[in-house]
Amino acid sequence: MYPIATTLLGSLYAESIVQAGKDVFVGFQNYAQLFRDPVFWQSFWVTIRLNLVINPLQVLLALLLAIMANQRLRGISFYRLLFFIPLGVSLPIASILWRTLLDPNSGLVNSLLNLLGISSQPFLISKDQALWCIVAVATWKGVSFWMIFLWAGLQDIPQQLYEAARIDGAGRLGRFIRITLPLLRRPLLFVLITDTAVNFLLFVPMFLLTRGGPSYSTNVLMYEAYKSGFVYGDMGRALALVMVLLLLVVATVAMQFRLFSQEEGS
Amino acid sequence: MKIVASGIRIPIHLLYVVVSLFFVLPLWWSLASSLRPLDEIFKYTSPFSIKALLLDRIDVSAYLTIFGERGFGIAILNSVFVATATVMGGLVINGLAGFVFAVFQFPGRQLLFFITVLSFLVPFEAISIPLYNVIKAFGWIDSYYALIIPGLANGVVIFLFRQFFAQIPRELAEAARMDGAGWLTILWKIYLPLSKPVIISAGLLIFLFQWESFLWPLICTRSEHLKVIQVALAGFQQRYTTLWNELFAASSIATLIPLIILLPLQRFYIQGVTASGFKG
Repeated sequence: MYPIATTLLGSLYAESIVQAGKDVFVGFQNYAQLFRDPVFWQSFWVTIRLNLVINPLQVLLALLLAIMANQRLRGISFYRLLFFIPLGVSLPIASILWRTLLDPNSGLVNSLLNLLGISSQPFLISKDQALWCIVAVATWKGVSFWMIFLWAGLQDIPQQLYEAARIDGAGRLGRFIRITLPLLRRPLLFVLITDTAVNFLLFVPMFLLTRGGPSYSTNVLMYEAYKSGFVYGDMGRALALVMVLLLLVVATVAMQFRLFSQEEGS
Repeated sequence: MKIVASGIRIPIHLLYVVVSLFFVLPLWWSLASSLRPLDEIFKYTSPFSIKALLLDRIDVSAYLTIFGERGFGIAILNSVFVATATVMGGLVINGLAGFVFAVFQFPGRQLLFFITVLSFLVPFEAISIPLYNVIKAFGWIDSYYALIIPGLANGVVIFLFRQFFAQIPRELAEAARMDGAGWLTILWKIYLPLSKPVIISAGLLIFLFQWESFLWPLICTRSEHLKVIQVALAGFQQRYTTLWNELFAASSIATLIPLIILLPLQRFYIQGVTASGFKG
C-alpha cells in the first residue's frame, strides 16, 4: 500500500517538473522570447508589487485576528464562529460577490463611502486601484484560514509564562514581544511561507474580476501563463512562465527562511 | 493575554462587532439579495438605506430558476460527489503515508518526507498547467478521474497525519507486534481510534480544497455535465452578468454547504491542527 501512496505522490509532482524541464532543453527560445517581451516584464513587476504588499498584510491581519480569537471574553465563541465564516466562501464566490459590492455606480461600498461624505471611487476599472482591490478581496477571504494556524500556535503557549512575566512587571506589549512573538515563530514562518506560495499563484480574482486589466495593471504571471497555455495555445510559453514563477517562489521563501533564522540568532 | 480591566470592555466588544460585520455583512447582503426580485436589488444600495439589508418579503423565484432551467443542480451534485470521493480516497492514502512516515524506519525516509512537505509549498495552481499534459497522456481529460485523482495525495494532510501519529507512543505498536499483530491491524486497532481530531481536520482540509478548486476543473473538463459548482458559477457570471439574484442564490448555496459541514466541526478542526503541533 505504501508504494502506491508515494508513487502517486511522486508521479504527481515529479512528472510535472520533468514535463516543464523537458521544455527547457527542447527550446531555450521560450525563455529568450519571454525575456525580450515587454508584456512579460510588466507582468513580472505586477506580480512582485502584489506580493510585497499582500503577504505581510495577510500575515499581520491573521495574527491580529488570532489574538482576538484567543481572548477570554463574554460571547467569544460567537465571534469566533463569525470569524470562521469566510472559510466557507470560495475565492470565485468572493470575487463575484465583491465585483457587485465594488461596482462603481451602484455598489454597496461606494454608497457607504457616499454616506461618509467620500465621493465614489472607480475601484476595479481604474488601473491604479484594481490591483489593491484584488488584494482586499483575497485578504477578506484568506485571513480566516491563516488565522487557524496562528491561533493553534497561541494556544500552545503555556499560560504560566504570561503569569510569571506579569509578576515580573512586564506590560502587555512587553509580554507580547518577549513571549508571544518568539514562541509563535514557527507557526508564523509556516503561515508566511505557505501564504507567499499561494499568493504568487493567485489567479481567480484576475480571471473573474479584471481579466488582467485595466491596461495590464493586474496581469500577474499566473494569469499570463493561463492565457498563453489555454487561450493562445502556446504551451511552451505557459510552462516557461510557470517555471519562472516557481523560481520566484523558491527564491522568496529561501529569503524568508534566512530572515527568520537570523532573528533567532540575535 | 486576558483583558482584565473591566473599563475597556465595551470598546473591545465594539471592535469585535466591527470586525465580525466586515466578514458577515457582504455575505448577508448577497443572501438577502438572492431572496429579492431582480429589479429591487439595487433599489436601496445607492443611496444606501438600511432596507438593503432587510427583507419585507421573501421571493424564492431565483432559487427555482437556478435549479430549473439553469441546471445548477447537476453542478452542485458534481461538486459534492467529487469532494466526497476525494475525502474518502485522500484519507486512506494520506493516512497510510503519514503512518509509514511516523512508524517505519527505512533508508531515505527523511529525504522522502522532506520532499513530501516541500510539495505542499507548491500550490495546485502551479502544477495545473503541466499536470494538464500528464492527465491528457492518461486520456483522462474531461472525466471524473481528472477531477478526483490529482486531489487525492496532499502534502499538508500527510504532514498532519505524520505529526499526529508520531505522538502516539511507539511502545503500543511494539507490544502489539510481540503479540503477533500485523501492521494494518495495528493501524486499525491502535492508531485509528485515537485519531478522531486529525481525521476530522484532514477530511475538512481535503473537502475545502476540492470544493474551492477552480483553475484545475476549469481546464480539465469541457462537458456541461461535468461542471463543478465554482466553474458553473463563473461561467454563469460571464454569460448573464446582470442576473444578480440568481447569481447570489447559487453562490449562497455553494457557501452554505461547506459552512454546514465546517461550523459544527470547528472545535475538532482546531484541535486536530493544534494536536498535530503544526509548527512548520
